Amino acid sequence: MSDLVLEARGVQKVFGEGRTEVRALRAVDLVVQPGEFLALVGPSGSGKTTFLNLAGALDLPTAGTLSVLGRDVASLSRRERAELRLRSLGFVFQAYNLVPVLSARENVEFVLELQGAGRERRRRAHAILEELGLAELADRRPAELSGGQQQRVAVARAVAARPRLVLADEPTANLDGENAETLMHLMRDLRDRHGMTFLFSTHDPRVVDHAVRVVTLVDGTVARDEPHTPERPHEILPRIGKARVGAEG
Amino acid sequence: MATAELTYAVRSIRRNVRRTFLSVLGIAIGCSLLLIVESFNRGKNELFARAGAESGTGHLRVTPAGWRVKRDPRMRLAAPEEALRRARALPGVAVAAPRIRAQALLAMGTHVVPVELTGVDPAAELLAYRYARKVTAGRWLDPGDAGTLAIGRAIADRLGVELGDELLATTVGRSGRIESAMLRVVGIVTTGSEELDLTVSHAPLADLERLTGLGGLGEVTLMLSDWRSFDAARAALQGRIGSGDEVLTWPELAPDFVGHMKQDTDTSRLVTAIILLVVLIGVASAQLASVLERRREFAVLSALGMHGVRLVRVVLAEGVALGLVGALGGLALGGPLAWLLAHRGVDFTRLLGRSYAFGGTVIDPIVYGDFGAWILPETFLVAVVATTLASLYPAWFAARSDPAQALRVAQ
Repeated sequence: MSDLVLEARGVQKVFGEGRTEVRALRAVDLVVQPGEFLALVGPSGSGKTTFLNLAGALDLPTAGTLSVLGRDVASLSRRERAELRLRSLGFVFQAYNLVPVLSARENVEFVLELQGAGRERRRRAHAILEELGLAELADRRPAELSGGQQQRVAVARAVAARPRLVLADEPTANLDGENAETLMHLMRDLRDRHGMTFLFSTHDPRVVDHAVRVVTLVDGTVARDEPHTPERPHEILPRIGKARVGAEG
Repeated sequence: MATAELTYAVRSIRRNVRRTFLSVLGIAIGCSLLLIVESFNRGKNELFARAGAESGTGHLRVTPAGWRVKRDPRMRLAAPEEALRRARALPGVAVAAPRIRAQALLAMGTHVVPVELTGVDPAAELLAYRYARKVTAGRWLDPGDAGTLAIGRAIADRLGVELGDELLATTVGRSGRIESAMLRVVGIVTTGSEELDLTVSHAPLADLERLTGLGGLGEVTLMLSDWRSFDAARAALQGRIGSGDEVLTWPELAPDFVGHMKQDTDTSRLVTAIILLVVLIGVASAQLASVLERRREFAVLSALGMHGVRLVRVVLAEGVALGLVGALGGLALGGPLAWLLAHRGVDFTRLLGRSYAFGGTVIDPIVYGDFGAWILPETFLVAVVATTLASLYPAWFAARSDPAQALRVAQ
């Protein structure tokens, strides 16, 4: 079995057929190594979200081979793909997508419980919320949290089960500058401390600043794939903590 | 089911309070209607079955083998004493009444009425035959009577007889000769139906034996403590009597009456099915709307790794919760009404008169519902199961939502 986190060879994705056919991905080749902090950039309609959907086993490629954590996505059943997402992948969505009727803690616990975590799930949920500076907001529901806080809860939910690959679709699109910066530091910190791999699509230069590799998609193909040196120093821990909780708008 | 799933299901129900309230109200009304209709139907069936059996048919009848086809009143039981003794010893038998029947003419002066004259054991008949308790003039036959007769009001009117008058009873005897005897009228029965009054002409067994010249019994009619146990009682009795006789059940003895009852029951069941269907569609519609509103959420849950079976479970749990609350509400709403129906009954006198005939049997116009121990749990169970079934399609819909597609639409 390969140690690669993701390996795409000639991946294509076509929506519709005939006159309504849209070729979202034409022939994407991409390899992602463990521990990478990779930004997927490109103009609207370039195929970023489509590729993330495929990488997250939410959808199947029309052609080509896509291997996620050594497993050929196309060969997996619907249930096996759900298991793959549950056990090994984490998702952060642009619109946070927290479950509105559950508190921050329950949102995190939900995923842990789906994984079969027993009584320790509350302790683990509390630990990750504390790590992300959300311990005091644990019992609040999403509607009682700011956008930045909600996105941090979403990150907590995504990483609570220690997935090997975290996929984030435009994670800072709805956040102001300070919150976006905080979130990126958080994700870098999680990557450094837990060895997780992050793959995120973005238009946001603030996000790209933190990436160690930038892949540019244009018209459904990889136009550029180059290493990147983060411009900002990694300073997450001093900036996140109880003192800042609730200070965000 | 996982705690988080259950929490999510319960809180989702509380999300749209108005819709949940309307769903629960619909289930509660459906459940209470179901309870009342079912109670009424069971009570009515009980009434009809009792009326039919007590009108002379009985729940079981021991007859000579082959009587069912020939229906010849001159046929006699092969082992009458044994049949009567075994019948009376059978557990669950309230009364066993021996009878002889004969086609006869009753005459008074120049007036004649054709009847089926029945020879009976007066004491047993008083328990087995409801019209024996409807004597409106004179008295019922006494065990020591000889040469006496109880007749229906319509027969008395047609013959112009009063109590104490003697009638000439004529029938065909054993050798084919005409036999006759004088019988004194000691009681006049008013059944409530002229048609049924014409069927009441009862005399002591010994008089019929003498008149027909045929000894033995024509039949033994049994009334059971629980009319629903007739199949088991028949099987038990059939094994104990001789092969020359056979045991018939009341559906076999009165197929027309049973056919009427079945038709009536089927109509009631159709009404019940329509009630259930309306509730099912209402709940399914509300649940589907709830699922459609949460497509994005289900897509997110699916993306997080919650597979279809778990999503189905969540939606079904919501349906079960709605069903439980709705069913409890239905019992609270319909329970007291069903109790009243069982204890006070519904009086159809203004609609049907003081009594009415159904399938050749006089039925009391007051129908009492059945409020047995079964009714609350059974109705509760039906309501919860129906609501759960109504959630199957919305649940299936939730389970098959494509997470990628749903997220694209949502965003």
